[in-house]
Amino acid sequence: MEDPDAPLVERARRGDRRAFEQLVERHQHRLLTLAARTLGSADEAADAVQEAFIRAWLGLPRFRGGSLFSTWLYRIGLNAAHDQRLKRRTEPLDEVREPADPQDSFLMSELSSALQAALNQLEDDYRVAVVLYDVLGCSYTEIAELTDVAEGTVKSRIFRGRSRLAELLGTRTAEE
Amino acid sequence: MVAEMHPHEIELFEYVEDELPQARRKEIAAHLATCGVCAEQVGLAAAGREAMRGTELLELPEDRREAILRNLPAPERVQGEGRAFSPKLVLAGLTALLLLAAVIGVLVNSRGGAGMESSAGGTAAEDATAASGGGVESSQAKSSLFLSGPAAAVAEDLRRKGFKATVQADRVVVRGATEEQVREALADRDPGDVEVVVKNP
Repeated sequence: MEDPDAPLVERARRGDRRAFEQLVERHQHRLLTLAARTLGSADEAADAVQEAFIRAWLGLPRFRGGSLFSTWLYRIGLNAAHDQRLKRRTEPLDEVREPADPQDSFLMSELSSALQAALNQLEDDYRVAVVLYDVLGCSYTEIAELTDVAEGTVKSRIFRGRSRLAELLGTRTAEE
Repeated sequence: MVAEMHPHEIELFEYVEDELPQARRKEIAAHLATCGVCAEQVGLAAAGREAMRGTELLELPEDRREAILRNLPAPERVQGEGRAFSPKLVLAGLTALLLLAAVIGVLVNSRGGAGMESSAGGTAAEDATAASGGGVESSQAKSSLFLSGPAAAVAEDLRRKGFKATVQADRVVVRGATEEQVREALADRDPGDVEVVVKNP
């Protein structure tokens, strides 16, 4: 599959910051959506995105083009989100994060929605598969590559994730 | 007979996604008409699909985007790639060698001191190496992997990928794998200060 990012990636690999800026421009919202929907926190997601782009920039010389740039970037994003989650577990309880910028009200309201509350309760594998497929529109092949599983497993995870999500939303609606 | 058996969940998924051949789709539709269990599963999956597809992309705040671009560090080069054959670095190395050769020539001619040659020769090699970056490269090639941490995250990442990885004294120790396998598994991590040691039995 031809990578639409290939020309920019090639320039960025040689240290062209303008090219990398354009890659950031193209992928920033999708990467944030992936991080935010899997972490459930606006601040942690933005930190993960920032970390992911810096890792990608530093790692570009090692990117061989064996996968789409976006697949590679999402994998870095998922790793960065995973690191954020570990950090959350090890942070002292009295350490309070700065509240998110009030201007991000859409982001905040989305992450405090019933849907996000249900997503937060899904198993990690199901949540990642559902977000990658239903929100970001990744193909089965991309998701399989990103998550190191077979395409059949990807389909199972999406199916189960969606079903569980609907159950949780149904339960929640009934409780409200 | 087939219509009486529950379809596999992958087929139910493909039914929801409308990816099945027409004949199989009809068979599954017939099954769903008589099987409450499968019909409920499909109904839930379809409802979950609708809930997710109604969401929009979230936008990265402008100040965060600016912070990313502002904080990009100087790009790094991969060992053995680009740096060794960079025309600028090769030129710099040659220039350093020529300059040093000229200095040695002047010193030998002016002092006639044969003893200076060996000492100056060593410095020339160091300068050429420093100019091309080769010294840093060769020392890194022999060392363990050093990647961005924390160590616990790197170890867990490796375990998720099927490696036997533990954290020992802030280092990640991997057993029963080759360095190449570990390097490949961690290719998406950038360099950092967490040492990853690969130990083969």
